[in-house]
Amino acid sequence: MPEILITLLTIGVVVAAIPGVCNYLILLERKLSAWMQDRIGPNRVGPMGLFQPLADGIKLLLKEDVIPPHVDKVLFLIAPAISVFTAMLAFAVVPFGPVNDPTMPSFIRFIIAPGIDIGVLFIFAIGSLGVYGVVLGGWASNNKYSALGAMRASAQVVSYEIPLGMSVLGIALLSGTLNLENIMKLQTDGGLLSWNIWFQPLAALMFFTASLAEANRLPFDLAECEQELIGGWHTEYSALKWALFFLGEYTHMITISFLTSILFLGGWSFPFIAEATSAYPGLWLVKLMILSGKAFFFICLMIMLRWTIPRFRFDQLMELAWKVMIPLSLANLVMVMFYKHFGFSQWWLLVGSMALFGAWGTISARLREAELAERPGYVKRKKIAPAVAHAGHTAHH
Amino acid sequence: MMTWTQEHPMTIVGLVLWAVGILWLMPGRRASKPRPHKIGVLIVALGLVTFCLSCGKTQSELADDVMFWVFAIGALMSGVLMITARNPVYAALWFALATLSTCGLFLLQHAPFLAAATIIVYAGAVIVTFLFVIMLAQQSGAAGYDQRSSQSLLATISAFVLLGAISLTLQSEKIDIVRPVVVAADSSADSAPIAGNMSLTFNLSPEPPVIVPVMPGNVMSKAKGKTPVGNLKGLGKSLFGDYLFAVELAGTLLLVASIGAIAIAPRREQGAI
Repeated sequence: MPEILITLLTIGVVVAAIPGVCNYLILLERKLSAWMQDRIGPNRVGPMGLFQPLADGIKLLLKEDVIPPHVDKVLFLIAPAISVFTAMLAFAVVPFGPVNDPTMPSFIRFIIAPGIDIGVLFIFAIGSLGVYGVVLGGWASNNKYSALGAMRASAQVVSYEIPLGMSVLGIALLSGTLNLENIMKLQTDGGLLSWNIWFQPLAALMFFTASLAEANRLPFDLAECEQELIGGWHTEYSALKWALFFLGEYTHMITISFLTSILFLGGWSFPFIAEATSAYPGLWLVKLMILSGKAFFFICLMIMLRWTIPRFRFDQLMELAWKVMIPLSLANLVMVMFYKHFGFSQWWLLVGSMALFGAWGTISARLREAELAERPGYVKRKKIAPAVAHAGHTAHH
Repeated sequence: MMTWTQEHPMTIVGLVLWAVGILWLMPGRRASKPRPHKIGVLIVALGLVTFCLSCGKTQSELADDVMFWVFAIGALMSGVLMITARNPVYAALWFALATLSTCGLFLLQHAPFLAAATIIVYAGAVIVTFLFVIMLAQQSGAAGYDQRSSQSLLATISAFVLLGAISLTLQSEKIDIVRPVVVAADSSADSAPIAGNMSLTFNLSPEPPVIVPVMPGNVMSKAKGKTPVGNLKGLGKSLFGDYLFAVELAGTLLLVASIGAIAIAPRREQGAI
């Protein structure tokens, strides 16, 4: 089969599959949220509410498409398209299954554009364009809530791009490449103990956090922020245009989950089941399932984080990026450089990451306490005395 | 001057038409009475076509050609639209499109890293910051002085004199476009003199990398095949080997500038918001 047909086939499959997957991710999100809050969740359409996404999709398609008279029409229409377009385009270089596996049928390829030398960089470049959808949508709506949401989004995305990029630099140095297929291959060849998570745990944490912020997911959804801004940048949007924004957001989530699995969790590698040496029929399918399973794990993690951590305040959001994550990712990078230059054992990177995390936590807590002490009306917290000494007094209070 | 006009009449005519069209389209002093747009658009289009035809192009594959013209004309048109747009937000968006088209040209020249870095820095950060500032500053619509261009005549003249000088120099000198390629020392003898003309990079290593012309044709032609700077490894070696001093100098300059910016920004107790 010629190369171009395979590419077209892959594009077709991906473009067709992503909206369907996104639909069911919304159902998953609603169900998981319901379970976390001790509710039942959607259960009316089909068995266990399984046809709910179809009903929702049809509803969004057939709903009246309102374009308010006060909007800037061109940008109002372009904004959701930009959102979906950039999210889909970023997926082009992400391998979503095993690549270059000889056991696979020749017409199946689990990456749209193989062999991109600047892989990770391409994703960052396209991802940085994704904010245009939010910013333009918010501005074109000509509404103060939308404008506030758009302004928050632009500041947030520009800030979080820096730790996002810098946390991957350590991996780029360790692997000597930015090509996602090669980064995955290095980990799958070495098995469980060569997954990047062991050597870059701090970078993994920062990458995941920063990409949550890039995707505007809670606890970083200040651009949307229903309680303050109605709907943020998409206040004026309805029907399919609104759905396109959410298609973009969920596509972004899928991309992030695959990226985190590939960069840090060893791609399709899994102990005993799929190793570099294992060989049995249908192995490529197992590998595909493993990689998708890891991605699914991260998606569930994101959904559960949504109901676990409350939304940040805007200054806290900025402080997290500029005062915590950027210095930490720089320190992490310097650590990797030291390791590369002096040739220490790779496991020192694990120790170093833990130490960095601990040190930064201590410093942050101390700084915070000092800052609080400056405020008027600050009462220093009393040291909690040992329980034994206080046991007798409790009765008097 | 005379020889120029005789040798490249089309370039000159194209540039002049282009400049007149832009001047026509630029929002003038009386923002309330815009000139008819169609005439301006026609003049700009004529100028652009004449200019592009005068540049010529060497033979290459069809797909490459189509991509090249799409990106090149996209970049030029977005540039024109950016400076003639009345609304600052649209101007910023046309700027973004011009940047993206230029990145497409970089990609065609086998420079993916440059393309990605430009997208990240310009389209992804700088223009988003512009948009942020525009939204923050002008929530009640653009002010009158933001809707027209000041000194449009002088700006147009200086920009097009610069553009004309560059394009005429590149055409009349008949130099092949060159890119730095490290080659074996013995083959450098005949190509070294040309290098002095075109090389804009500066380099303090004891043995400068020889800069050789890698392709025939004119400015618009492009590299074929992988040159050493085409991939990431080669680019890194070149930046942090051949041009280490320049890179470090630029980095230090940026660091000093950012420290300076933080130092002169007013503190909160001095009345900043």
